[in-house]
Amino acid sequence: MNASYLMKRLGYGLLLMLGVVVLNFLLIRLAPGDPAVVIAGEMGGATEEMLESIREEYGLNKPVLTQLGIYVGNILQGNLGESFFFNQPVSKLIGERIFPTILLVLSALITAIVLGVFFGVLASRKPNGVLSAAVAVFSSIGYAVPVFWTGIMLIILFASVFPIFPVEGMMSVKLRDANIFIRSLDVLHHLVLPAFTLSVIYLAQYARLSRASMLEVLGSDYIRTARAKGASERTVLFKHALRNAALPILTVAGLQFGSLISGALLVETVFNWPGMGTLAFESILRRDYPTIMGVLLIASGIVVVANLLTDMSYRIADPRLRGES
Amino acid sequence: MTALLEIEDLRVTFNTRYGEVTALDSVSMHVNEGETLGVVGESGCGKSITALSTMGLIPMPPGRIAGGAIRLNGEDLTKVSDSRMRSLRGGDIAMIFQEPMTSLNPVFTVGDQIAEAIMLHQKVSRDQALKDAIALLDRVGIPSPDKRALDYPHQLSGGMRQRVMIAMAVSCRPKVLIADEPTTALDVTVQAQIFDLLNEIQRDYGSAIILITHDMGAISEMADRVAVMYAGRVIEDATADQVLDSPQHPYARGLISCIPALGKGAQQDRLAEIPGVVPPLHMLGAGCSFKERCSLTNARCGSEKPQLINHGAHPVACHAAEEGRA
Amino acid sequence: MTDLSNSEGQTMADEPQQDYQAESPLLEAWRMYRRNIPALFGTVMLTVIIAATFYGMFFYTGDAYDIVWAPHEPPGVTPEFPLGTDYLGRDLIAGLLTGGGPTLAVGAAAAALTMVIGISLGALAGFYGGWVDNLLMRITEFFQVLPALLFAMVLVTLFSPSLTTIAVAIGVVSWPQTARLTRAEFLRIKQLEYVTAARAIGAKNKRIIWKVILPNALPPLIVSATLTVGVAILFEAGLSFLGLGDPNVMSWGLMIGANREYILDAWWPVTFPGLAIFFTVFSVSLIGDGLNDAFNPKLRER
Repeated sequence: MNASYLMKRLGYGLLLMLGVVVLNFLLIRLAPGDPAVVIAGEMGGATEEMLESIREEYGLNKPVLTQLGIYVGNILQGNLGESFFFNQPVSKLIGERIFPTILLVLSALITAIVLGVFFGVLASRKPNGVLSAAVAVFSSIGYAVPVFWTGIMLIILFASVFPIFPVEGMMSVKLRDANIFIRSLDVLHHLVLPAFTLSVIYLAQYARLSRASMLEVLGSDYIRTARAKGASERTVLFKHALRNAALPILTVAGLQFGSLISGALLVETVFNWPGMGTLAFESILRRDYPTIMGVLLIASGIVVVANLLTDMSYRIADPRLRGES
Repeated sequence: MTALLEIEDLRVTFNTRYGEVTALDSVSMHVNEGETLGVVGESGCGKSITALSTMGLIPMPPGRIAGGAIRLNGEDLTKVSDSRMRSLRGGDIAMIFQEPMTSLNPVFTVGDQIAEAIMLHQKVSRDQALKDAIALLDRVGIPSPDKRALDYPHQLSGGMRQRVMIAMAVSCRPKVLIADEPTTALDVTVQAQIFDLLNEIQRDYGSAIILITHDMGAISEMADRVAVMYAGRVIEDATADQVLDSPQHPYARGLISCIPALGKGAQQDRLAEIPGVVPPLHMLGAGCSFKERCSLTNARCGSEKPQLINHGAHPVACHAAEEGRA
Repeated sequence: MTDLSNSEGQTMADEPQQDYQAESPLLEAWRMYRRNIPALFGTVMLTVIIAATFYGMFFYTGDAYDIVWAPHEPPGVTPEFPLGTDYLGRDLIAGLLTGGGPTLAVGAAAAALTMVIGISLGALAGFYGGWVDNLLMRITEFFQVLPALLFAMVLVTLFSPSLTTIAVAIGVVSWPQTARLTRAEFLRIKQLEYVTAARAIGAKNKRIIWKVILPNALPPLIVSATLTVGVAILFEAGLSFLGLGDPNVMSWGLMIGANREYILDAWWPVTFPGLAIFFTVFSVSLIGDGLNDAFNPKLRER
């Protein structure tokens, strides 16, 4: 990998993050009302004393540009502000919630890609077959179904009809003192329904996309070359074709990370999954702006990192891009 | 004597939206060890379908081998199992394609792609296969082959890529090597180099070559014998010299007169051309399929399909030639 | 198959005998669309849904906001309330008929805003290239980094949660894809001969953008606009579900959100609004697929 290219991308990612910080600042300024009240949270019933300390800390009596400088400076030092509702630093709150969200998002993404590509490849074997039709129908359904509603329907199904998966939270209270292995299994058990709910939409999309992509690749000259060598059908399909068909799938997966985070937000609130989504939801209900702004910043950061990783893996997967910068 | 590869009365059909269309109609040809057979004709005449049928690479459906036989050393390839065909493909019969730019997989190194062909047919380790691949790259005239083996296709020029294709195709010393317009996509100077290379390979390995082309120049340079195809049929079958010097079929004659250097009247103002186009295969009627473009037709040409028969010099499918009107 | 169409198929595909009269691409697309059964099904379904949500209450007596019966009356038990009642005892049918309007209106308005922003920025970036393109694409990338729903939540919370705010919030977060698509189309089309020809006869940039390139870029944009409507409806439903919609306006998302605490006692107040959203977006997606097929006949076999 080209080191200078990597540095360039990293720098650009940091610039995007800085953009989010500035945007956050602008939003607080543009919101109707006293920024100090906004920061304190309208539900907080903040005392005049508190407001004064906020004005002091954020330099709200100084010119706007100075305020921006102070705001950016605070964040660069890792200070995302103080949540008045939770009475904790925002960075600590988010730190506790970031792992569950990443676990949920990655499980859903991996499930969607693995299953979606599997069905898509199978369907591409028979472009007019039953599985192809099923992929088309299922992808239209997957696009149209509201993700939070899927979650609720699954809760109804699994809470009363087949009570085999927990429908709420991330850990069982009674297993709180068990060893780490048991607790991990418990988390995975809780993860099944939320991850499946979130993956359904993307699963359908990836199946459709990989089918189309495989059909395109299977018609290409180098597939004929592979067959002419005497390669078996499985080698042709999974080695020669899939490696090439994976490139557009990778692109889409990277582009969709933002929408995946949005979906995770809804799924988390439905299943009470203790991640950044529920945190965002709780803090919005309480108008706890420092927290919600922090979540927006960190969630954007996750998307930036995901895009960076996608970009890198794209370069590994496609040798034609390796030399460029 | 029995030929190394013999195609006999091969009939291939395709299901299209016009119904079942006959792409190859009782095509017969053969090639012997160490010999080069040229297959000539315009695009759409069935040359490539003949090659793909021999390789067992006709997409089925919509394609179907409706009759005839393809015999390699007496073994009928239209009847063998899929796994037997796979072991022959790339082993005893190999093929070089027209488009070197797109015929190599863009995400694997050329060394890997050649080594894969070797490992599919020989019991060798991956290291050995990679060493053999480098030796093959050297053999096909690629400079610093050990470095080039690590290159990806996009890093090589068109001529280099075609050399890689050739290296891959000859990696298992095939008995029959089919080259489907191997130089069409390349510069003229590179074309000559590729032909030289094919000749060398043939000398070293004793392979039979089937050269598919529309270029009579390539025929004169490479071929021992020639099968001229038109609209899914072989219409003239002769030695290269016979076809080049005294073509019997009006179509073959037209093809020859299209070559500037070989045209007899050197002062002709413009190149000769054959009027009209190849009729769509689903619209072939009764009689000779060349009748619309031919100046020697009579009533018989419109009703009776001419058979490939030797009327004197060599087999030709033309009533005019049979009746001495040609 | 590809081998065939490339070499041998060339001659098969010719239709020299047929008398072929050229017709306008839009007319031809319409002919294709008319023969597409799923697309027609989607069109009819969407028409019915729109008619029901905008005119249904003229024929159905009852008010979505009134408490008319005991809470959690199951569907099919009381003839006056075929779909039952919600947790407060409000009629579900009235809710469904009333709640569709805001959802559809916000969806359409947000999609329109998305298209306006996306097409304008994409057209400028694609047409002018250079630093304009660079700048606009950086802005687009920036908006793609923001998780859309989260950003919309922030916007709706900071400003008042009215239908307008929601539509604007959705529009502001959804346009980057449209901008990218428009830009790609403009980059492709601006190199074509008829654009050069228009330049040669001295057409101004403004004219070339709006009168020459845009009409030719429309087919994929129309398809994308359709799909954007679907996404916007889902978005609105998501926000209302979270309770961030206008609390005084009945909507399908709000119905699901308000009743979700009682799902284990009563499945119906949540299930029916969800189905309503699903069928609306599903019909929109069928229409989008149909338009896509009609505009790109080549892709139909896929």
